[in-house]
Amino acid sequence: MTAETAIAPSGPRPALLARLRASLGGRIALRILSALVLLWAVATIVFFLQHLVPGDPALAILGGASANPPPETVAAVRAQYGFDQPLLAQYADFLGGLVRGDLGSSYTMKEPVARIIAEQIVPTLQLTGASLAIAWAIAIGSTLLTAARPGLAARIGSGLEVVLAALPHFWLGVVLLVVFAVTLHWLPVVDDGPAGLVLPALTLGVPLGGFLAQVTRDEFDAASRQPFVLSALSRGTRPRDVRWRHVLRHAALPGIALSGWGLGSLISGAVVVEVIFSRQGIGQVLVTAVTSQDLPLVIGVTFVVALVYVIANILTDLAAVAVDPRLRTSIGGAS
Amino acid sequence: MRPRPALAAVVAAAVLAVLAGCGTADPSASLPAGTKEGGDLVYATDREPTCLDPHNSGDMPQTYIARQYLDSLVSMKADGTVVPWLAQSWHVSKDGRTYDFDLKKGVEFTDGEPLDADAVVANFEQIMDPDTQSSTDLLYLSPYFEKATAVSEHTVRVTLKRSYSPLLTVLSQAFFGIESPKAMARGLEANCAAPVGTGPFKVAEWKRNQEVVLVRNDDYDSAPADAKHQGPAYLEKVTWRFLKDNTARFGALQSGKAQAIFNLPPESVPAASADSRIDTDDFVHSGVPFALDFNTDSPQLSDVRVRRAIVHAADAPGIVESAYGGVFPYEGNALSSGTPDYDENYHEPFPYDPDKAAALLDEAGWTGRDADGYRTKDGKTLTLRLPYNSDPGETPPADLTIFQNFQAMEKRAGIKVELQPKDAASMTAIKQDPTGYDVKGGYWNSPTPGVMYIKFSQETLDIDNGQNVARDFDDELDRTLVQAAGTTDPEKQQQLYSKAQGILTSQAWHLPLYPVQTRLATRSDQVRDIWIEPSEGEPVLHDAYLIRDGA
Repeated sequence: MTAETAIAPSGPRPALLARLRASLGGRIALRILSALVLLWAVATIVFFLQHLVPGDPALAILGGASANPPPETVAAVRAQYGFDQPLLAQYADFLGGLVRGDLGSSYTMKEPVARIIAEQIVPTLQLTGASLAIAWAIAIGSTLLTAARPGLAARIGSGLEVVLAALPHFWLGVVLLVVFAVTLHWLPVVDDGPAGLVLPALTLGVPLGGFLAQVTRDEFDAASRQPFVLSALSRGTRPRDVRWRHVLRHAALPGIALSGWGLGSLISGAVVVEVIFSRQGIGQVLVTAVTSQDLPLVIGVTFVVALVYVIANILTDLAAVAVDPRLRTSIGGAS
Repeated sequence: MRPRPALAAVVAAAVLAVLAGCGTADPSASLPAGTKEGGDLVYATDREPTCLDPHNSGDMPQTYIARQYLDSLVSMKADGTVVPWLAQSWHVSKDGRTYDFDLKKGVEFTDGEPLDADAVVANFEQIMDPDTQSSTDLLYLSPYFEKATAVSEHTVRVTLKRSYSPLLTVLSQAFFGIESPKAMARGLEANCAAPVGTGPFKVAEWKRNQEVVLVRNDDYDSAPADAKHQGPAYLEKVTWRFLKDNTARFGALQSGKAQAIFNLPPESVPAASADSRIDTDDFVHSGVPFALDFNTDSPQLSDVRVRRAIVHAADAPGIVESAYGGVFPYEGNALSSGTPDYDENYHEPFPYDPDKAAALLDEAGWTGRDADGYRTKDGKTLTLRLPYNSDPGETPPADLTIFQNFQAMEKRAGIKVELQPKDAASMTAIKQDPTGYDVKGGYWNSPTPGVMYIKFSQETLDIDNGQNVARDFDDELDRTLVQAAGTTDPEKQQQLYSKAQGILTSQAWHLPLYPVQTRLATRSDQVRDIWIEPSEGEPVLHDAYLIRDGA
């Protein structure tokens, strides 16, 4: 969204905004500010949504499938955590904690939320990073090999991309596991090392790769019909170099823009993959936290995912500029 | 703006992060042939406990792992007799209300604290303290427990409000493992992460969602009397991995990444039997089998005729056979067949009989039919809500099949069953809300037939903690069970517990389906001597050893 449309035309703020936008530091400050507003909104929405869900947070704390706490225990917990306070007072307490950087303690894991997230975020980032790399390798490979080529190659390429993009994570994960780990023994079933990352990353990366390839291919087709292609060819540049150096640059832009979104989808896909391959990670934590109404943990994880999302969008902007220097002047206003 | 270096840094960081992990070594590599000593064992299980201290809450995954680092006062053998463990002997007073335990001398917790009478007293105090948030332990003790006192340095006296003959078997469960008082004083959070016991292993690290690392207690010399060997464990290290996904768990065993797995998936049983390297070990839990409990607070189920009709219509053996493919047996009694004083006369009290079901429903007044063919009474359709936890870890696919089979069978009798998938928090809420369900699946593993009292007595109904799922009681049943707990005469106990099973059956408060099992699958070419103890079906790794070449 562009900030201009949201601000009234009169008053000093547009001038301030304009001044901020004029400098790189200002643009970064704006970005951070909007990120903070986003995080506050996320926390608030999650806080109130969780309180709308039927169920008692005291029971979540005393949780576990077999838990049957006596009423005195439930009452003691309610008082201890302040659940007997009005909702707004709880909200104020909670915001106060956030401002102090205190994400609270998990109800179910009985551990500080920040520590849990710190332990779990790295494996998830490894997984999503590797998946994104695989996705791009597939997209670029498929586009360079088959896009904007006459005949069967393009059709096979685009048909394959449709199939890849449509593969469901849970199915692909189990198939890869059974074929490459259980039957062929090429890769470990479970392993924390680089070898153990291959199958989970393929599970997430392949469908996203198919999707990115579709987008890149369309753009590649369009770009290859542009006059600059003809002029490059007529200057004697080899067709292979034209495809790689010129056309691909154009074709990559929408894919890069979508990578920020892709990262979000990877994190939600990570939930499935982390369960199948029993990886540590934020996805599993979030699922457990939501089903057990572990409010501090849900908010903490949502918070961090939102933060990753904001950072990812800044990074995709930077990547877009790297690919297309013309965007350099408009960064910060584009997303 | 210099985007290129920034990007390069991000890429470099990602690559480094990916490479930072390290591989797992072959467990039996670099060990001399012919020795039992040493090595790492990978044990993979499906469910992760929320707290490693089994005094808190009280869910099965807690006892399975707690057995490896906590010793109990006594140990139970398969025939129900109780043998010494941390208590080398005990004396029960004539009225059955005072238990004096003489503790083994010279035992130390792994944090260096001595095991003495004060330490054991502190354990009872922690269990009874509301701050510990205990549920299982509390339910076993609170109706009976009065106090624990240190009589001398190594003698603990447990005083009861009234006699409780199952006390020793109850205390043999890892739920009642003895912990270091100093460690317990650290508070719930620290104690959940790393409880300290006197056991053969100690908790080194808990990587959430992944594994708990246990290392050997080199000074261990307090194995129970029924252990296969005394002294420290052979294994140097145990990696207790959580592999929720059935394919991954069985795959880990097949590929040798795990030496033992818990809960062999029913669909993998044929592959496991065909594989000569895989051994399986099943233990049928005692206690109350997995059953569908009928909420007698709901108007349609307050009538015993309707409840009996449901059971007659269900074809429970067929339901279990179809869902578990013969891997799990059918269990029709309120008690699992492995429970002491189980009475086989109640194996299948209400066999499949659609005509009888129809007659009972007619008799109860459900004579009308709605447009879909379901029975009605005063214009109301005979509908039963069956909520269940939608997490496949809590409701395995085969249990879901059981619910669907039940739904199909009851439909034939004109009874509508609504399956309602719920998240864990909603299920906890439903437990506390008698209007939230009509039928609910559940089980209670226990080494004593006294568990019938926890599930079906007025006292547990009054505590209102959702454990009396049928929400009903029977004066005669209560009296019988209290009498049974009050006598130590085995013959009288058998009589009374048989009578209780008869009363329970006639009330038809539930539809028993199958006994819960601990199912281990191990690589017989890699590991030996993992055994399952009978109080809660806990796997025991203290005696286990890895097989070396030439051994």
